[in-house]
Parts: sequence; structure tokens; C-alpha cells
Amino acid sequence: MRRLRFGILSFAHIHAWSYARVVKELEEAELVAIYDDDPERLKKAAEMYGVKDTYTDYRELLKRDDIDAVIIASENAKHAELAIAAAEAGKHMIVEKPLATCLEDAERMIKAAEKAGVKLQQAFVMRYHDATVTIKNILERGEIGDILVITTTNHGKYPGLWFGDPELAGGGAVMDHTVHTADLMRWYTGDEVEEVYAVIGEKIRSELKVEDNALISLKFRKGVIGSIDCSWSRHEGWPIWGDVWLGIIGTEGYIVVDAFRSCINLVVGGRPLTWVYFGSDCDLNMIRDFIRVVEEDRTPRATGYDGYKALEIALAAYESSKRGLPVKLPLR
Amino acid sequence: MEELGVALIGCGFIGGVHLGGWKRVKGAKLVAVVDIIEGRAKRAAEDYGVPKYFTDYSKVLDMKEVDIVDVCTPTYTHAEIAVAAMKSGKHVICEKPIALRLREADEMINTAKKAGVKFMVAHCLRFWPEYVAAKRIVDEGTIGEPRIARAYRLSPFPEWAPWHKDRRLGGGVFVDMSIHDVDFLRWTLGEVESVYARGGVLKTRDSTAHDYTHAVLKFKNGAIAYVEGSWIQPPGFPFTTYLEIVGTKGMLTVDNHTTSAIRIYRPGAPPTDFTPVEEDAYYREIKHFYECVVKDEEPVVTGEEARKTLEVVLAAVKSIEEGKPVKLPLGGEVL
Repeated sequence: MRRLRFGILSFAHIHAWSYARVVKELEEAELVAIYDDDPERLKKAAEMYGVKDTYTDYRELLKRDDIDAVIIASENAKHAELAIAAAEAGKHMIVEKPLATCLEDAERMIKAAEKAGVKLQQAFVMRYHDATVTIKNILERGEIGDILVITTTNHGKYPGLWFGDPELAGGGAVMDHTVHTADLMRWYTGDEVEEVYAVIGEKIRSELKVEDNALISLKFRKGVIGSIDCSWSRHEGWPIWGDVWLGIIGTEGYIVVDAFRSCINLVVGGRPLTWVYFGSDCDLNMIRDFIRVVEEDRTPRATGYDGYKALEIALAAYESSKRGLPVKLPLR
Repeated sequence: MEELGVALIGCGFIGGVHLGGWKRVKGAKLVAVVDIIEGRAKRAAEDYGVPKYFTDYSKVLDMKEVDIVDVCTPTYTHAEIAVAAMKSGKHVICEKPIALRLREADEMINTAKKAGVKFMVAHCLRFWPEYVAAKRIVDEGTIGEPRIARAYRLSPFPEWAPWHKDRRLGGGVFVDMSIHDVDFLRWTLGEVESVYARGGVLKTRDSTAHDYTHAVLKFKNGAIAYVEGSWIQPPGFPFTTYLEIVGTKGMLTVDNHTTSAIRIYRPGAPPTDFTPVEEDAYYREIKHFYECVVKDEEPVVTGEEARKTLEVVLAAVKSIEEGKPVKLPLGGEVL
């Protein structure tokens, strides 16, 4: 079996480390080279995953013709530059979410991938989580009738690092945590959002330069009502990083999904309770599916366009909060 | 101490709960019950050992031995009955919502003042153990300045009270049910500045009243809250509540299933979760009103308080109808 040969472009995003683990684990994948603009981080990642070929200039990595695909997990604002260069170098790619920090960048990325004929998969790992996939199937079989309402939360702790830098992250909790469940709602309803209302709350952590809590209310074109709590509202000491939670009301049933609630309670020596997750490995599922997408020349389950549409909802939330009024989509 | 006489009007579900509460209050004596359905009034009188029962509430207003009137009738009758009772010099405890129209609430408040009687609206979460504890934790500053809250209240449609299908009689899910969470959040976080809501009649046949609403509230102190009320849960769905408050220093969550002391499974029925406490919320609520009457003190939920809460839930209805956020105070009636 030919292995798909991967490069990873930046370990700035915390998910990069899990993706690297998965690429190492999968028989059908090989981690060939890594790039980071932070030499310290590059060294750390190289040691952790036993990668010999390291680069502080991504163009050098992209020049190699023994690399098939790259995973882009830089700071949000740097996605576009890396993705466009990767496309021009003929590499397939997985791009961490959000796709970009503005719709113009997102569109340029999608067009570059199209022009180069490479796959651009948006890292919407929740389309690959066994719980949310199971629900997709249940909904498609009509087991709870028609969807009426989807209430969602993607709570988290404050991730630290550059996530509080408005330039690099493109925003705070809204930019970071709107897109996952926005995308799940689009996927489940097969419909697009028509209207977004949002309020951004005063900061939980006054020292931050970006927002850390917000509430978003959505209306889909065919009438489904949705909501997102994208807040970094979990304090240190909460037993897990956060949640992806959905309450789906149908005409003939109700489903609750708490995708990361499958946990062991663990206490060690007087420290606070922690939850040790044992559920679906969605990062692994996603990268495995990406490899098939490339080999079988299929369309990714979550495309650049899906990334664009979810980003649009996050950007509309900022706009709505600023104006104090609901905002209609599309934005452009 | 002189014993106070109590007449309870409206012997439906909540009426029965209140009767159980009054039975336990030392110094209070149930002297009459009223229901427009005679059989229901008679049965309540028998079940709770009440000497008299009537189908016409004006009968108890003429009784000298009645000091307190407890109004447990459908919402659309609250104002008329409460005002008549007050004019007869009776102290009034009235179920939530206070009324469906602000002018009715105003009339109730003004009449109580003029008549010099006590008036309280039975917002039971103010006596509910986990909500009282949550409020105390917030008040003590344990979680710092409150920033963002979530509150759910989910159930199937209350088919047992068909008047809920008429928006002019019951007001809909947010006015009738989410009013609990809104009142609690006002009590805990302070006054609401604006309301944006989405919802409508999503599922219930022949209903003009909204059966689903979610609302985003902005409070004057800068806090925000997501409040969701659903009457479109599938049949058999166990009544579900959830509360979360996040502050600058910490956070709290509580729900009515995972924190229950007891869960009972019966064949063919969803599990029942509950936490029995010696003094349940309804008893404490009723005892509180009784003590306010005896000691001549202001109840914790005055007419003014209940009116402010009503204004917020009405603003949610208005926001759905207008498709935009609604600032408080309201300019006029909504329903």
C-alpha cells in the first residue's frame, strides 16, 4: 500500500499536535516534514514525533515533490498565505478551522485549490466524530421527523497562546468556537442560515484583548431555529476542556448530543476532578477520510465552501453584536 | 396569635400544590375552596379537609373569616379575581404570571396599595432549593461578577390546560414557563435592558400561543443570558431544567436530573427525578406570604417585581413578532 506523505505547516494551533499523532499512527500515512515559524516549537514537534526534516521556511517544504498533502494548523490569520502557497505547489490540504479570518481570504484559498486541482478539506472534525455522524444518520432516516430547533454549545476554557491576539486569531471566542456547531447545523439541516443575531458579553477575563463570551441566535432559510453559545466560559478547574453539545428538537422526537461527555472521572492526589475522555477519535477519523478523498478523488465531507459558510456566520455574529440588530446572510 | 383564614380559588394542578402547603402552615386555616367546576371544588375540599366549597369566587370575598385569598386560576383571570379580592380587603397571593397585560398588573399593584393589603406573586424559584443556593453563591461573590448565564425549561405541551393554546389567555411558553427563569435571573443578575427572541408556533396544532422560544437577554450590569423555553418536547419527555451562571472568578451549573436525590423507574413511563426536602419550595413560598401578612412585611415578590418580570417575557413575544431586539421598558401592551 502506498502511504500518503504528509507535511505539517505550523504547530501554532493546539490541534496540530493531535493531527501529527494521528498521521504517525495511521498505517496509510507518513509524516515526512514539518514547518514552523517558531524554531523552538519546531524543535519540540520534531522531537515529539521523530521528524527529521524540519523547515522554518514553508516554501522549502512545499518545493519537495515527495510530499502529497499538508495539514495547515498555523494561527488563523496565516492560513490563507500557507494554503494558497500549498495549492500552487500542488499539495492537497487539510486546513484548521476557522478557514480564514475574513471571507476574502477564504475565497482566495478556495479558488487557489480549485485552480490547482487539489483537495481542500476544512478540519471540521465534528463531521467525523462517531456520535455526531450517528446523529446525521438518525436524522436522515427521519427518526425524529423534521428538525425544528437545534440548540448548541461549544464551550471551552481560554486556550491561551495567540488565541487572545486579535491580529493572529481574527477575534476571540466567536471566531474560535462558532464554526463547529454552525457547520453541524448546516450539515444536519442541509440548509443555509438566513439571519444571525448575536450579543457579545463583557469579558469574563478582563485582561483579554478579545471577547470570551457570546450568544448567537440563528434562523435557517427553511425555518429551522438555531443557537450557539461559543463562549470560553469554562474556568480552570472545570474537569474537561469544554464541550460540543446539541439539543435537537424534531417533530417526532428529541436528541441530546454531548460529544465529549464520554469520560472517566479521575482524581489524583488532592487535585481537582478531571474527566478523561474515552470516546470517538474524530481527528483520526477525519485524517483517515482525507486520505481516501485524495486516493479516490472524492469531494471532502467538509469542503472549503463549508468552511467559508461557517466563517460567514461567525463574521455575521460580530456584525450583529456591533449593530445591535439581526444581520441577513449572505454577507457579500 | 390569631388564626388567619385562607380561601383558595382554582383547584387545578397548582391549586392542589398550594392547598398542601397551606395545610402545613401553622396559624393558617383553609376555610373555603373555589372552582368553576363543582366536582373539582368538592374533591379539593374533601382531600384537604376544607369546610366550604363554591363555584363562584365572589362568595368567599364576602366571608369575614377569609383573610387571605390564594389565586390559582388560569392566567387570564388573575387580575379580575385578585382585584376583587383586594377590594374586599383580602390579602392576595397570586400564581405567576401576575397577568398578561401591564395595565392589569398596574391595577393589581395599585388596588393592593389603596386597600392596604399584602400582595405577592408566587414565583416559586425564589424558594426552590437549588436556585436559592445558586443565588446565594452569586451574592456571596464566589464566582465574581456574573457575565453569562444559560437557563432551559423543556417539556411537552401542557395539554392538561388547553387554554395555553390561546395566546390571549396564556401568553405562550415564554410568558407562562420561561417566566420562572427570567424572574430568577432578574432576581440574581438585576434588571434587563433588552431582549431578542426567536420562536413561534412550531409544532402544536390549533395553537395561537408560541410553543417554542429562545431569548438572548442583555442586563443593565453587562451580563447576558440565553433563556430557552420549549413546549415541543416529545410525549413522555421528563420535565427538564438547567441553569448555568459564569462569572469573572468561577461558574456554577445545576440541572434537575443529575442532581436529584431520587430516581424512580416505573414500567412504561420515563424516570421521575426529585429531591425531597422537609420544607419544599411551595410550602416555603406560602409560609413566607403568611408571615408577611402576620408581621406586616413586604413579600420577596411584590407586584412591582412581578410586573418587571412580566415586562421581560412580553418583550420576548414582541421581539419574535417584530424580528428585532426590544428595549425595556415596553411602550405598550403586547398580547
